Amino acid sequence: MTPTTQKKAQDWTQDDAETLFARYARSHETQMRDRLVAMHQNLVRYLAGKFVNRGEPLEDLIQVGTIGLINAIDRFDSGRGTKFSTYATPTIVGEIRRYFRDKAWSLKVPRRLQELNQTASKAQEALSSKLGRPPTIQEVAQRIGATEEETLEAIELGNAYDTVSLDSKMMHDSDSSPLSLAEFVGAEDKSLLSLEAFGDLDYALEALDPRERAIIIHRFFKDMSQAEVAKQLNISQMHVSRLQNRALSQLRRLMVSE
Amino acid sequence: MTDTQISADPCTETVQLTIPCRAEYVGVARLTILGVTGRIPFSYDEVEDIRLAVGEACTHAVERTGTDTATIRITSTLDTVALTIEVTDNIAEADKAAPSEEARLLEEAGVDQAGLGALLMEILVDEVKIDTSPTGTTVLLTKYTPK
Repeated sequence: MTPTTQKKAQDWTQDDAETLFARYARSHETQMRDRLVAMHQNLVRYLAGKFVNRGEPLEDLIQVGTIGLINAIDRFDSGRGTKFSTYATPTIVGEIRRYFRDKAWSLKVPRRLQELNQTASKAQEALSSKLGRPPTIQEVAQRIGATEEETLEAIELGNAYDTVSLDSKMMHDSDSSPLSLAEFVGAEDKSLLSLEAFGDLDYALEALDPRERAIIIHRFFKDMSQAEVAKQLNISQMHVSRLQNRALSQLRRLMVSE
Repeated sequence: MTDTQISADPCTETVQLTIPCRAEYVGVARLTILGVTGRIPFSYDEVEDIRLAVGEACTHAVERTGTDTATIRITSTLDTVALTIEVTDNIAEADKAAPSEEARLLEEAGVDQAGLGALLMEILVDEVKIDTSPTGTTVLLTKYTPK
């Protein structure tokens, strides 16, 4: 056994890493790759730790980040002179951000904030009666098991994520009375017009692809006609109409299925 | 002493905040930016990215300072094209701290916090510009607004 293979993972220094990378690039031996992964776990932990406040457990983010690390290890050319951590960071961070996007996370997290908002409100009431005075943020945070920042966010800004109004009017193309988005989306089933069913419109909008979302926003919140939107997006009016219908079905589907 | 003023100028859509350069105030900066971005049709992902970038810039100032009295000024400006956030500290060359034990250990483990911090900010927003002078550092973050 050569001296280098007797070392523990945490004893590896940058120089060892360079040698390992060069050797790995040539042999692609799994054992070498595993050692490289172990050596750079600190980097993954460091980067994953930046994203902990988005509602996913750190361990999951580390796992996801490690996938990015492995990809970076496979592609890294140590002869180029770039530091590996510089090379790998975009790949690791990219993997973590993609994980969030793919989880339609933007639909879930605001709800988490709302739930935290409710928990914090209840805690405030309970503490108020217990203490005989309004509780401090520190006291509420301690009681609900969140950080002070999260608690502040939940109490003060749980409503900061703009609630798009379902009453937003859209000018109907044939100049008849303006229809609201609620009427359009709920067109197939009148019973869907209850406010609860539409509580997540804001977040469902986030799940549309950017062009469909743009069409809904232009048509329903900026009062643009199909012709104007077509011109804006440089597509035909018929195309706008098709995309609009698709976006509306998508919204309907997203908000009804729980 | 805390000095956290928030003023909004309705003509030019500028919001400015000054905080003590201490770890416990970075959260205040992030919360203010949350309030600012709430008025712009960014996605939740984008808002969190912007907050993370601002938090990073502030944290690096906190790591850099060797005094109790330094401050960080965060100025956000919204125009038709982009949201620009400037994070400026007044940490003079002479007032810089030696790297903390934690920073040193991270460095040995291959994590160059300062370098990676800049790289991370570049991934999170559209443009990053860092200017270091003898009297302090300015980080300029730009995020294009959705059309």
